[in-house]
Amino acid sequence: MIRPEDKGLKGKEQMSRPKGSVLVVGGGIAGVQAALDLADSGFYVHLVERSSAIGGSMSQLDKTFPTNDCSACILSPKLVEAGRHLNINLMTLSQVLGVEGEPGNFRVRVRKNPRYVDPEKCIACGTCAQKCPKKVPSEFDLGLGTRKAIYLRYPQAVPLKYAIDADACIYIKKPGRCGFCQKVCPTGAINFEDRPEEITLEVGSVILALGFRPFDPSGLDFTGYGTLKNVVTSMEFERLLSPSGPCMGHMERPSDKKEPEKIAWLQCVGSRDVNRACHGYCSSVCCMYAIKQAVIAREHSESGRLSSSIFFMDMRTHGKGFEAYYERAKREGIDFHRARVHTILPAPNENLRLRYSGEDGEIKEEEFDLVVLSVGLETDPEVMKLCHSLDVELDHDNFVSTSPFTPVATSRPGIFVCGTLAEPKDIPQSVMEASAAACGAGSILHESRWTETRKKEFPPEKNVYAEPPRIGVFVCSCGINIASVVDVEEVTQYARTLPGVVFAQNNLFTCSQDTINQMVETIKKEGLNRVVVASCTPRTHEALFQETLREAGINKFLFEMANIRDQDSWVHQKWPDAATRKAKDLVRMAVAKVRGDEPLPYNHVSVTKRALVIGGGVAGMVSALSLADQGFPVCLVERKDSLGGHARKFYRTWQGRPMQDYLEELVRRVETHPEIDVQLGATIEHVEGSVGQFRTRLSNGFEVEHGVAIVAVGAESFKPRSGPWNYLYGKNPNVHTLLELDQRFIRDDEALKGLSQAVFIHCVGSRVPERPYCSRVCCTHAIDQALKLKELNPEMDIFMLYRDIRTYGKREYIYQEAREKGIVFIRYDLDNLPRVNEQDGNIVVDVIDPIIDREVRLHPDLLVLASAVRPRDDVGELSKLFKCTMTEEGFLLEAHMKLRPVDFATDGVYLAGLCHYPKPVEETISQAQAAASRASLVLSRDAVPAESVTAVVNVMKCTGCAVCTQVCAYHAVTIDKNSGKAVVDTGLCKGCGACVAGCRSDAITIKNLGNEQIMAAVEAAMEE
Amino acid sequence: MEKAKKNQWEPKIIAFLCNWCSYAGADLAGVSRYQYPPSIRIVRVPCSGRVSANMILDALRSGADGVLVSGCHPGDCHYISGNLYARRRFALLERFLEFIGIEPGRVNFSWVSASEGEQFAKVAQEVTERVRRLGPARKLVKEIDSCPA
Amino acid sequence: MSSVNEKIAGKIRSIASSLLESGEVAAFLGYTTGSLPGMMQPYVARDAKEAENLSWSSFCVINLANYLPALLKSFEPPRRPNEPPPEGPLPKVGVVATGCWSRNMVVQIQENQIDRNRVVIVGISSRGMVDRRKVQRFVGNREILSMEEQANFLVVKGKDFEEKINRWDVVRDNCKTCTHPDPVIYDELVGGLSGKRDIPDRFRQVDEIEALDIEERWKWFQEEISSCIRCYACRNVCPLCYCPTCFVDDSRPQWVGKSIDRVDTALFHILRAYHCAGRCTDCGSCESVCPMGIRMRLFTKKLQKDVLELYGFEPGLDVETPLPLSTYKVDDPEDFIITNIKKGDKK
Repeated sequence: MIRPEDKGLKGKEQMSRPKGSVLVVGGGIAGVQAALDLADSGFYVHLVERSSAIGGSMSQLDKTFPTNDCSACILSPKLVEAGRHLNINLMTLSQVLGVEGEPGNFRVRVRKNPRYVDPEKCIACGTCAQKCPKKVPSEFDLGLGTRKAIYLRYPQAVPLKYAIDADACIYIKKPGRCGFCQKVCPTGAINFEDRPEEITLEVGSVILALGFRPFDPSGLDFTGYGTLKNVVTSMEFERLLSPSGPCMGHMERPSDKKEPEKIAWLQCVGSRDVNRACHGYCSSVCCMYAIKQAVIAREHSESGRLSSSIFFMDMRTHGKGFEAYYERAKREGIDFHRARVHTILPAPNENLRLRYSGEDGEIKEEEFDLVVLSVGLETDPEVMKLCHSLDVELDHDNFVSTSPFTPVATSRPGIFVCGTLAEPKDIPQSVMEASAAACGAGSILHESRWTETRKKEFPPEKNVYAEPPRIGVFVCSCGINIASVVDVEEVTQYARTLPGVVFAQNNLFTCSQDTINQMVETIKKEGLNRVVVASCTPRTHEALFQETLREAGINKFLFEMANIRDQDSWVHQKWPDAATRKAKDLVRMAVAKVRGDEPLPYNHVSVTKRALVIGGGVAGMVSALSLADQGFPVCLVERKDSLGGHARKFYRTWQGRPMQDYLEELVRRVETHPEIDVQLGATIEHVEGSVGQFRTRLSNGFEVEHGVAIVAVGAESFKPRSGPWNYLYGKNPNVHTLLELDQRFIRDDEALKGLSQAVFIHCVGSRVPERPYCSRVCCTHAIDQALKLKELNPEMDIFMLYRDIRTYGKREYIYQEAREKGIVFIRYDLDNLPRVNEQDGNIVVDVIDPIIDREVRLHPDLLVLASAVRPRDDVGELSKLFKCTMTEEGFLLEAHMKLRPVDFATDGVYLAGLCHYPKPVEETISQAQAAASRASLVLSRDAVPAESVTAVVNVMKCTGCAVCTQVCAYHAVTIDKNSGKAVVDTGLCKGCGACVAGCRSDAITIKNLGNEQIMAAVEAAMEE
Repeated sequence: MEKAKKNQWEPKIIAFLCNWCSYAGADLAGVSRYQYPPSIRIVRVPCSGRVSANMILDALRSGADGVLVSGCHPGDCHYISGNLYARRRFALLERFLEFIGIEPGRVNFSWVSASEGEQFAKVAQEVTERVRRLGPARKLVKEIDSCPA
Repeated sequence: MSSVNEKIAGKIRSIASSLLESGEVAAFLGYTTGSLPGMMQPYVARDAKEAENLSWSSFCVINLANYLPALLKSFEPPRRPNEPPPEGPLPKVGVVATGCWSRNMVVQIQENQIDRNRVVIVGISSRGMVDRRKVQRFVGNREILSMEEQANFLVVKGKDFEEKINRWDVVRDNCKTCTHPDPVIYDELVGGLSGKRDIPDRFRQVDEIEALDIEERWKWFQEEISSCIRCYACRNVCPLCYCPTCFVDDSRPQWVGKSIDRVDTALFHILRAYHCAGRCTDCGSCESVCPMGIRMRLFTKKLQKDVLELYGFEPGLDVETPLPLSTYKVDDPEDFIITNIKKGDKK
């Protein structure tokens, strides 16, 4: 789209302007998130995916930790959104061949491999695959199941189009021999003449999101993988659990399809193992996914007798909500064995005998009927080749090299990286980096925003006022999620009998692209003017279906959902009959409600193009700079008198990069940036308004109008001045917290060189009842400090008293280094805490060493407490001002733990840094950049959509008593001076309905949520 | 299990849940597969502050054996204070209904947050049990409705 | 007639006629003597001559605040809904007000139903109004032909009887438990003030019901409303019922059926009472006018008790304190929230 102002540009200026488009390579969750962020903030995106559908590894997972969300369910809306996005050019079956040029102006050669199926014609009816005679192992099910030569990668694939596997297709190998698919295809979509095509894209920036591949344990003889049928990898086990997997979620073991009753998980297969697997790093996610699998497997167990054992070295549950998940698993009876498995031997009935040594060194044996290898993450060799050809540097583990201060930048300017390609990491971290990478691309290309994008034009909306309701009901099976409990066919038939319903249909996955497309056609063909979808929760899927209505020319508010999954089939698994009755009730209620729905206008709020960033630490400063560099004015508020925050006390990153140099440069850039207004010594007093138009008053009286806010207020270091974790802190001068020792490093304290023994106690105040979470950073920080002490004095004896060493990812290398340098690690647990005493002013530490099972006495002249990172006490006040929520621990709670890691549920407010959860500086920086990226989605627009479901006054009934004005928290209702009646400012109204409930006269109502409509739903619930 | 349940009377309970906390909590109960009796019929409302005495009485008039209204914990309201106004309305209504002889347990109020899936399942369980103990609600249902058709 | 009431009536007449004469008020709202013994009827005097008809007695049981909004409105020039109000002050109205009536006027001011600047309130401390039904009960089925008030007695005469009744014995229940007989706002005062009354058991009638078990209470409620003929006299006389469309007349939404089915009647009474929560001053008009003698005051009295107990609020004492359902306190009682009860159990 060329804008009027662009036309006046001279040729030369246009040349110097960067391209307004970005290439994203890899269609997994990271690539999709980066693509969506960019496409929603004014850039055109080419999304290149090697396979026939986007979704990546996440689409193969059954559930995700720590919320146990169904992976496909939370991913699917994003994939569909990316698939349908007007400004995302989805290129599946495509490969990048090379990238030439400079940042802002790259030329990319891409090869599009043939699909042999015309996506314009394919309706994904599946007749072709039914008739196809050639069966091959399904790569999506990791060979555990089969697919045909013409296939869909997975049931909810985006795009939902079949593809022919040329290597397997009989016809392609020998034309004339088969060709059944072509004969049976009802739309003539099969095109055997399809040929590869090479095209050149011009883009301003490139984002690599190529993901990982699971480690192949075939080479590890001790596992028996490949020879023993009932030894499977964790990814294979995901497929065994998945309802869309080879055994439809019934969890069968491969050898005899029997349900396993005793499963063992072996951790660190292909991770933390230099000798056998050549991978020294920790894969970060395996501990959590193993626990998740153990928990979910028990739910899947039909016998209810499943026993689950996890064999591990260190339990690494270092993320938000992870430790609580671990504790819950322990309570629920999952066995955790701190033991190394030496061999897996065959046992009778194709069972497996595990031989392992416990912590005490004793060899034990135990039989299991299934063994899951928790395999690590590694880079695909094909991806390595691509990176080499792009001149993107890899580290010695073949992950893309990054720096802690530029965590998503590769060695080649203009090319960014996100997700597991840079280091093994979990989904939220990948999503965060994806947004950060989008922010990186945006800061190069911001001048060219909206120059290459297209605008969505919906067909004009049909006027339905005069029409009687013609309601369509779509009942979803959600694979087996609903259909295994609720009789969806019966519900569908029942729906047809309801008044106003003229069409009802059951779908396998109502949210799949092809059903969505079909829904558009159905609405047109059947002349529907209202739609009910009975499926999952409107909280995740309402927007998707509402857009579908718009595409069909129907106002999106003529829509209701019946939640027959989350609030029915999933919670009444044991009562299928009652669940079916309830589903009918819910459908009847939704139909009763939708009958009264009226078309509503699409409201907008204009955007004040300024960001408020709260917190002048690293997170806040990086967020501010990331936005200011894109040309958005920022007001940065810091409560102290200088910028820097906690990082002021921080010596170096674990990679050895000095913090203070970086910080000095960061502060200088912030202070001199023309777009950043720094307000020091100020806090937030009052906040008004909402996304697009906030008005905030600071404690110094300054008022700022802003369109978005980023909360980056940091956290605090726990100081154990008293209580069980005191360990002489504050009593003996040689007892420090980590940051206090850092400060001695920063000032080059000579005295440190003279020390002869240092002891570190880990988990001081973390993973304890009053703070039941892991502080994530302390293991790495403590070990790095121990190494620094060794640098200062190689003769120093250093003891680390720990519970689990959690040096996740590449941090594992400094743990290895520490052990190589003779630093001694002694494990303790909550039942046997180290005891610290003072004798004649000297510190004495007693601890039981579980390896030798004896008490050890240490006499350190330095005791370092790796104390917890704890939330700030005043975060609650701030969160209330912005209407955000907090976790039980007191950290700020994001909108969704997995897929919206930097957004709050409140639109236009984002979070970054330690106020979200403890994290190291590289993660803080990427989260800060991610928050900036998310904020730019609002700031890049002149207006954002506003609430349509607002209050409306019936002046005939209004008495002007003003109860509504008093209970409205948004000052959206006032009494008109002339008429003496209430009036609603729809720009301010949020549609909460407090006024409606307060009004005695029924004079004010919420559009489409009026009393009559709610009554209709309530009364419908009672009919039978 | 299904069989055992058949002998047990399954009440119908209308649950007005606020979209942001309790409805999300009910979703989380599902995601986490916490099981509860199939007696609850959820009506999604934006806020517990949207729920009026009239709506609660209407549910009873329509034949609901019980009513549950659930919102965000005080301080967590997505709309700042909707649940706090509601709290006053509900407190007075609850006492008043008891005063005129509507059994305690017919009309129930709870706070359940978006992260309390298990809590929601417990509330649903408890409300169902309360209502089961009371038996079918007929006091505010017209007799004609209870006649066999 | 009692000299007390005659004195008051005389004072009202003289204030009213001077207000009307001077043109300060366009009308004066008070009482005039009715056609039946012991019946007083609201009366609007529009000139000094009509003011002579004003009267006062122990039978002024109808709350004058009820007529005030409409009377004020009648003096406004007609205009379209969005037309600004006319420039300059609008005509005023004079009105007689006892404690509870004046408190209702305060609520009406809070709810934008009357403009304080347009009312001249003539305050009277109430001695308590007499319940005609109690008097009737006193004399049995005999027809009353005249009632004469003395300082502390009523002399009731019929065809062949004469009874002297202690006035306080037949004062209305609400007046007996009244704590605020004095007007809380007024421009002129007739007679003296009697101060706040301390009634330790002012909610005794409510307490008695509360002491019953749940089914007895339901039985009581059912019996109490069983004679209701849905005439809406209680609603019509209530100064707080001013909705243009009452919920009982509304069909969109129809919260309550229009029949005298016991459920419809119950819902009518529940909602009518609930609408008065935090606003009702227990003026007793509703009960006084009920042709069937339903004691619906008990319903509102219960709410009055709870509002006081839970939120420390009494309606209409001042204009500044917000009405209890239009405000909240962060630490309002919430022991009825079942998720809290559970937490408590654990302790």
